[in-house]
Amino acid sequence: MTSGARTPAAAIAGIGATEFSKDSGRSELRLAVEAVRAALDDAGLRPADVRGLVTFTMDSNAEVAVARELGIGELTFFSQIGYGGGAACATVHQAAMAVATGAADVVVCYRALNERSGRRFGQVAVGAVTAPTSSGIDNGWHYPMGLSTPAATVAMAARRYMHVYGATSADFGTVAVADRKHAAANPNAWFYGQPITLAEHQASRWIAEPLRLLDCCQESDGAVAIVVTSLDRARDLRADPAVILAAAQGAGPDQFTMTSYYRDELTGLPEMGVVARQLWQHAGIGPAEIRTAVLYDHFTPYVLMQLEELGFCPRGEARHFIAGGGIELGGRLPVNTHGGQLGEAYIHGMNGIAEAVRQVRGTSVNQVAGDGPVLVTAGTGVPTSGLILGAA
Amino acid sequence: MLAAEVTQDAADRIRAEAQRIMALGESSPRVARDPVNLPIIENWVEAIGDANPVYTDPEYAAASVHGGLVAPPAMAQVWTMPGQRRAGDGSDPMSQIVTVLEEVGYTSVVATNSDHVFHRYLRHGERLTLRVSLIDLIGPKRTALGEGWFFTTRNTWYSGDEAVATMDFRILKFRPAAAAGERASQPPAAQAAVPPGGFVMRPVISPDTRFFWHGMSAGELRIQHCGACGALRHPPGPMCPQCGSADPGYVRAAGRGTVFSYVVHHHPPVPGKQLPLVIALVELDEGVRLLAEMPGVAADQVRIGMPVQIEYLRVDDELTLPAWRPAEPAGDPGPAPAELPAMAVDVSATFVVASALATRDFTPVHHDRDLAVANGSKDIFVNILTDTGLVQRFVSQWAGPQALLRETKLRLGVPCYAGDTLTFSGQVAGHTVLAGADRYEVSVTGRCSLGDHIIASAVLDVPRSQS
Repeated sequence: MTSGARTPAAAIAGIGATEFSKDSGRSELRLAVEAVRAALDDAGLRPADVRGLVTFTMDSNAEVAVARELGIGELTFFSQIGYGGGAACATVHQAAMAVATGAADVVVCYRALNERSGRRFGQVAVGAVTAPTSSGIDNGWHYPMGLSTPAATVAMAARRYMHVYGATSADFGTVAVADRKHAAANPNAWFYGQPITLAEHQASRWIAEPLRLLDCCQESDGAVAIVVTSLDRARDLRADPAVILAAAQGAGPDQFTMTSYYRDELTGLPEMGVVARQLWQHAGIGPAEIRTAVLYDHFTPYVLMQLEELGFCPRGEARHFIAGGGIELGGRLPVNTHGGQLGEAYIHGMNGIAEAVRQVRGTSVNQVAGDGPVLVTAGTGVPTSGLILGAA
Repeated sequence: MLAAEVTQDAADRIRAEAQRIMALGESSPRVARDPVNLPIIENWVEAIGDANPVYTDPEYAAASVHGGLVAPPAMAQVWTMPGQRRAGDGSDPMSQIVTVLEEVGYTSVVATNSDHVFHRYLRHGERLTLRVSLIDLIGPKRTALGEGWFFTTRNTWYSGDEAVATMDFRILKFRPAAAAGERASQPPAAQAAVPPGGFVMRPVISPDTRFFWHGMSAGELRIQHCGACGALRHPPGPMCPQCGSADPGYVRAAGRGTVFSYVVHHHPPVPGKQLPLVIALVELDEGVRLLAEMPGVAADQVRIGMPVQIEYLRVDDELTLPAWRPAEPAGDPGPAPAELPAMAVDVSATFVVASALATRDFTPVHHDRDLAVANGSKDIFVNILTDTGLVQRFVSQWAGPQALLRETKLRLGVPCYAGDTLTFSGQVAGHTVLAGADRYEVSVTGRCSLGDHIIASAVLDVPRSQS
């Protein structure tokens, strides 16, 4: 380890999920408690062992409601993280801090949503521009002008990135092809058995130019839960611990939520750079040591920018890095071996953390050989977070 | 369900009554107490601070385009004000529609617009008569203040049979939001009326962003400018990130820039927009970026780096959106619009009272502080007749004493309370060459510490020999 590296104190001891579907037929609260119970079973813990719960501000299930349904009893720590999918790894970050400080010794992170059968994030959310909040006012510079969907907000940055670095729609398509290839081998993925070709990507319709339909993640119903406890305790539990080597949050200068259009460049993700610097420092490793990565992929262009921001390749070079199967199984850095949110499911990034844990345990359906650490990132274009997990 | 039915019945009744009142046409005349005369004019010009000698200096006036003393056109309404002790008999159209609205709970009132047309200048000795008609009523509208109805009365002043001036006066009668159980804290734009033709997403407007949206309505692009360090910034906020000062002002941007990036939105539908929709992020010549749609431009015609200029998409009285169009061919940027010299008015309590009384407006909120506070105001505040007078003074100072004021249109914003300073700024928005004169259309903003008090336009004819 290099200087600045920290001694890991917490680990992921259990993961759980519901099935991933387009219409769960159940309440979001029921999805949440099913996932939490599955994660506790995976860890060999009981609800009564849980002292903390963490979720997203966007989650519709209050911690106390989840605790009630599970019979958890007393809670000593509860927390919610904002900024949509940017919260995913931050839930584990919060849990690890709670464990490290003694605020709670077992903390469960969860995210449950009927995003396809219920509230669809890809539609125009009129309420986002009428809210009398700083975020509502921010949205007032974009929504009334017609820029009002996540895809469109990403398309603005993607167009600039293409202009500056020469990336093409086919480069974005290369990410989708890799995700769908991995999903095709994953029985839990919605697109299990359904790989796509680059030609199919190029033939898919425009959503918000330069983004095509197949650049956009799917809409899913489902839930994922992650159990965090101390490394010492995790060693004694049922599953092999996935040690939290580093966890970090990051917001960049002049940050907006999805519309950071007013700072110098529109070709990077400075907030992910803030996360990356902390991750490398705290874990005491660099990009070359990462065995496989789960990179947040609600829209393909941001996978390219993340590779650059995280230091896997120089700026503007991601299109070369991913070419020729570079991010597919067997490539230089296999990315999103579960199929990502384009291929497996859109559970706001939480299913990516579960995949990283499987890679550490050696139980992924697309297992990457070796025992090196695994990187996970959360939502892009927003204040975000990341994790590096490794074997005990 | 019951409440909704009652409301529907009430709305139908209000509309029927409005139709009846409109059909009555002009009211019987109200005759001015006094003919146009110098003492009343002297009181008025002293209170308003209008030093134009054509109103008070017989020698100058005799040698001017008028050939003798005239009355300030903005005084038209003053001559027929009812005075201190006179109450109306309730038969005029304004009283009638007010009564109808108050009976169903629309008890509060705020004036929103006062638009004058001055057909000619008045001379001493002319005795005016006023006739009033109701010319429109729309509602119910959800507004920041509460649900209400907008109506407009047309006030026409006659000298004999000749119409010499008209004023369209627009009023909102509303049921206060708190009384209706609505959230009074809701920002104004969020609850604003849905215009005909479909739903429009409206920005939430805060005290930090109001100047921008008022600028849009006035047809100007305002960019935040730090009062301490001069840094430009968009989107705006309450505190300068460069120097920490909380003294934001703004500058008018030229409205030109180049496309920094753009999106062509195809799916899903966006309320109020036709698809595909081009949206461009533009870097202004001033160095900040502004995002707006680019209507009427084919997606394959847009390029990063292409020069564009702003245009203003008016949605309704409350919302105007920016938009981009390809810039005119290079080499002809057009003359920069002329700025009028700024004018600051010290709004002392004495000014508020003196100008209210000089305009013969005895409404207590303009002179009785205790009563104003009891009515929910912070203090006594400037009356609308004075606002019209100040706009006249401001544009005349720029155009010169012989300019003829033809028209003023005032949109009324935040109140201007005693103790504040009212600062006028203005810009030439249009110029037409007439026989013997230049006609200028001028946009005017009167700003106080609470924000835009008046957004106005004026039309003036300046005799050619003078200009």
